[in-house]
Amino acid sequence: MKKEKTIDHNPRKPHNAWYYMQWVVAILVTLIMLFPIYWMIATSLKSAQEVQLVIPTLFPHSFHPENYSYVLKRANFFKYYWNTIVMTAGILFLQVTTGILAAYGFARGDFKGRNVMFYLVLGALMIPLQVTFIPIYIMCSNWGLCDTFLGLILPEAVSAYYIFMLRNTFLSIDPSYTDAGRIDGLGRLGCITHVLVPMSKATIFTVTLVTFTNGWNAYFWPKIIAKNEVRRVLTVGLAQLKNTFAGQSVSNYHQIMAGAVLAILPVVILFLIFQKYMMTGYSKAAMK
Amino acid sequence: MANTSSTAVLAERAPASSPKKKRGLSARTRSKIGDFMFVVPALVLLAVFTYYPICKLFQISLTDWNLLNDTWKFVGLKNWIWLFTGTGAKYLWNSLKITFLYSLGELTVTIVGGMLFALLFNRMSRSFSLMRAIVFMPKYVAMSSAAVVFLWILNTDSGVLNYLIKSVGLQPVDWLNQKSTALISILMLTGWRVIGYGMMIYLSAMIGISKDYYEASSLDGANGRQQFFRITLPLLSPTTLFLLVTTFLSSMKVFQSVDILTSGGPSRSTEVFVYLIYRYAMVDFRMDRAATSAVMFFLILLTITIATMKYSNNKVTYDS
Amino acid sequence: MKKSFLRNYKSVACVAMAASLLLTACSGSTGAPASPASSAASVASSAAGGDYAVTEPIKIVWWHALESQYDELVASVVDDFNKSQDMITVEAQYIGKYKDVNEALVAANAAGSGLPGVVVANTDYVASYGESGLFENLDPYIKGTGYDANDFAEGLLRSAQYDGKQVSLPFLHSTQVIYYNKDMAKERGLTIPDKITDFGAFLESATQKAADGSTSVYGTVFPGWDQWYFETLYLNEGVNIINEDNTCDLNGDAALKVTQQLQDWCNEGVAYWASGEDASAVMRQNFYDGKCFSVLHTSSLYNNYVDNCSFEVGMAWYPAGSTGDKNSEVGGCVLGIPSKNDQATKNAAWVFLQYLCGKEVNMKWAEGTGYLPTRKSVLETQEGKDFLTQKPEFQCIFDNLNLVNPRIQSGAWSELATTWKNYMDQIMLEKSDVTKSSNDMVVEIDEILADHS
Repeated sequence: MKKEKTIDHNPRKPHNAWYYMQWVVAILVTLIMLFPIYWMIATSLKSAQEVQLVIPTLFPHSFHPENYSYVLKRANFFKYYWNTIVMTAGILFLQVTTGILAAYGFARGDFKGRNVMFYLVLGALMIPLQVTFIPIYIMCSNWGLCDTFLGLILPEAVSAYYIFMLRNTFLSIDPSYTDAGRIDGLGRLGCITHVLVPMSKATIFTVTLVTFTNGWNAYFWPKIIAKNEVRRVLTVGLAQLKNTFAGQSVSNYHQIMAGAVLAILPVVILFLIFQKYMMTGYSKAAMK
Repeated sequence: MANTSSTAVLAERAPASSPKKKRGLSARTRSKIGDFMFVVPALVLLAVFTYYPICKLFQISLTDWNLLNDTWKFVGLKNWIWLFTGTGAKYLWNSLKITFLYSLGELTVTIVGGMLFALLFNRMSRSFSLMRAIVFMPKYVAMSSAAVVFLWILNTDSGVLNYLIKSVGLQPVDWLNQKSTALISILMLTGWRVIGYGMMIYLSAMIGISKDYYEASSLDGANGRQQFFRITLPLLSPTTLFLLVTTFLSSMKVFQSVDILTSGGPSRSTEVFVYLIYRYAMVDFRMDRAATSAVMFFLILLTITIATMKYSNNKVTYDS
Repeated sequence: MKKSFLRNYKSVACVAMAASLLLTACSGSTGAPASPASSAASVASSAAGGDYAVTEPIKIVWWHALESQYDELVASVVDDFNKSQDMITVEAQYIGKYKDVNEALVAANAAGSGLPGVVVANTDYVASYGESGLFENLDPYIKGTGYDANDFAEGLLRSAQYDGKQVSLPFLHSTQVIYYNKDMAKERGLTIPDKITDFGAFLESATQKAADGSTSVYGTVFPGWDQWYFETLYLNEGVNIINEDNTCDLNGDAALKVTQQLQDWCNEGVAYWASGEDASAVMRQNFYDGKCFSVLHTSSLYNNYVDNCSFEVGMAWYPAGSTGDKNSEVGGCVLGIPSKNDQATKNAAWVFLQYLCGKEVNMKWAEGTGYLPTRKSVLETQEGKDFLTQKPEFQCIFDNLNLVNPRIQSGAWSELATTWKNYMDQIMLEKSDVTKSSNDMVVEIDEILADHS
């Protein structure tokens, strides 16, 4: 359990019992952690009969990709993908725009009541959508935003967290850079796009990643505002699929799992590609 | 991840004032208005989607509004009296108790489990890096997919977990359908998703600890265990506090796993606070009761946040 | 910092509130919970007199709760309608379970937008939709278009009424039955008893236990996920559930006896209480696998059971209560038209609704599923006999058809039912004390009832 282990890649060092134990335990734990995802994929390829077997089979006897086509016929996953992508993109775009603008205003701006307004932004952190959803839902209904992209996106359009993180980063950039920019004839927007944003790329990437994941996995609000098929998102669609099948028999789990795989595919692929960034993203956000 | 922010907020001190530029009065006013315009979009959206709704919520809590009816009237404190006496109180306390139990579970997994995992996976080789990625991956698996898989794994008759239990000669467990195990089942799902996150946070904090400490203590003859308890753990206390606060606040908002796994059952034994509000609002259509409970929830969150702010301002510094 | 935060919070919040009100006002809505303006539509409809003709092409949406096994049937029925005329185009949308349809419908109604033209509703929602005026009163339409509503079986027609008004029409109906494993019955000489007093002995003999005392085959399974399946057992013992004076008698002697009996059976391992998210699927699977001799369920799933079982499936009526009553309750769904729709939509919806409730469409469902024929002109004629030769197991339903009663109609029913179900779970699964739990439950239900009166 020595701390030096983290930097230990010296093969000449003698390996003690703990070294091998750590290997064994780590592999075991990894397999357990991997199991639910493996089980999801394995079940999604089994036949109805195989799913029902008293002794579960670790590996499918025969492959049944038709489970996927059945699920795609049953639930409009392409539409769910589209809805989720548009919703996530909309939330991302608005949070990034409002976030960068406001962060600049709070970090570099000079106007009356700036600090008070900033505290108001911070205060919003304490009021999650889970508290305010009732009035927001009523507002959205009155504006005809049920089952629309606007209804899905607008309540999430601004993130106090995003503003806060970026403002801190902007503040940490020496004012002389922006001053130089101003002298070179850049306007405020020019300063943001040419000086501040390039200099805080890392933070923006990190925070945007968190926003993206939250948007993609959002469930609570989409479930409330988009009850109809037309604007249903993946997460809600999958829960719905489960309910549709749950009325029938236990042996439908191969189809439900096919839906589950479809729902996570894009993000897991993204994760595999950007694994390094996606893993450090969270911890960077934490360390700020 | 709005929760991550609350602590990040803690780290923040009074903002440094930006340099003021000397300009003509009208130009200066214009510049001020120009600066102000940058924060307007965010402020308007926050006003409409955060501050107005919270005021509205107070108002609804004083009415008898049922979503089924087109009309409503003010009834004073009726809902508040209902919330603190009779059935309202019963379910309020029930939900509070369950929410805190759940939070406790999630905290334990994130902090204790995360720390143990960090110690286990702390080697820098390629294969360990791969294993870390696998352990962390569940964080990116959408909760709804994760929940249906657990529904399947925990299935009483055909689930793989009960198969394993039976194969070692024990009685199968009715995981999701009995009070004693329903919450534990939900925590299994949560634990699977968050433990890798706790691990990553701890690992990146550990890397930040200077090696000098360990070298010095090795010279003093300290063994691994002593080093862990005397150096690693104390130096990780800001990280632990960070995880404690953010995880606590986010775990208070748990909804999705409950909604998919148990719908708050059996007999409301997994009815966490957000689910309670949801049920009043979208199942019973009692907007009055839902709003009253939501205000209550807001007050609880507010108290916790202020309390942790005060505590952490006194205890721990966040300067990295 | 805290101080200034709170102070400024207040002032900005007020500004925000004003700004929002402005926004709401601009969008032409009141910002109040629901806009009373839209209820004017329903007044207009009754004033419109006899003209319910569809004059312009129109597209309407039909919300339903028919699961995947009915996909093709739904598609073909809607297709036939769309082809049969060129004015109305119907789009069928699967919303979810009855509960989901209810949530979506009430939400859309409160919003006053996004309402479907025609919607299904489980039989126990009729009262609350009638009471709140969510459903259009169909009486003027029936009169204005000379529609013959009297061909519906009486009990079904009544179950689609609220306060004497026809707020909906019978669509797909079923009732509670007991499915049993006929092969096992022959093999072991078992029959479903006629009287509940013999049911205990029957369960004893139907149940098979393993050497270690655990149950290998349950006598029966009680669906605990929906009170509809067990409320009949109470009604047949003379329990009112909701008394005349708007109180609940589920802690009266008669009710306690039933609850105690059910708990005893579950404790003895001769019956199983199916509850939870997956309960319906689990119960069916156990029946298919021969792990229980019988199950209480809805007649609508008859074809489903037959298709999935490798043995012969029998169907029996619930045993009569100790009072001699052997009533059952109607299940399934009615069709209604949300009243906040504009008149053109409502007119088109009325045309489609007549078609869906018509004899031909109804018979398609009756033949392809386990839903009942709803028409007297089927039930009481040769057609009914033909139907029975096709599905002889339905004899028990046809014999008792006049005993199928409408649901208890109360605006508080849905809340009451949830509470009841939750307490039953506690009593059956956690083995809590029957009297104490029932008393606690009735306190709560009385509060709900008082709230709705």
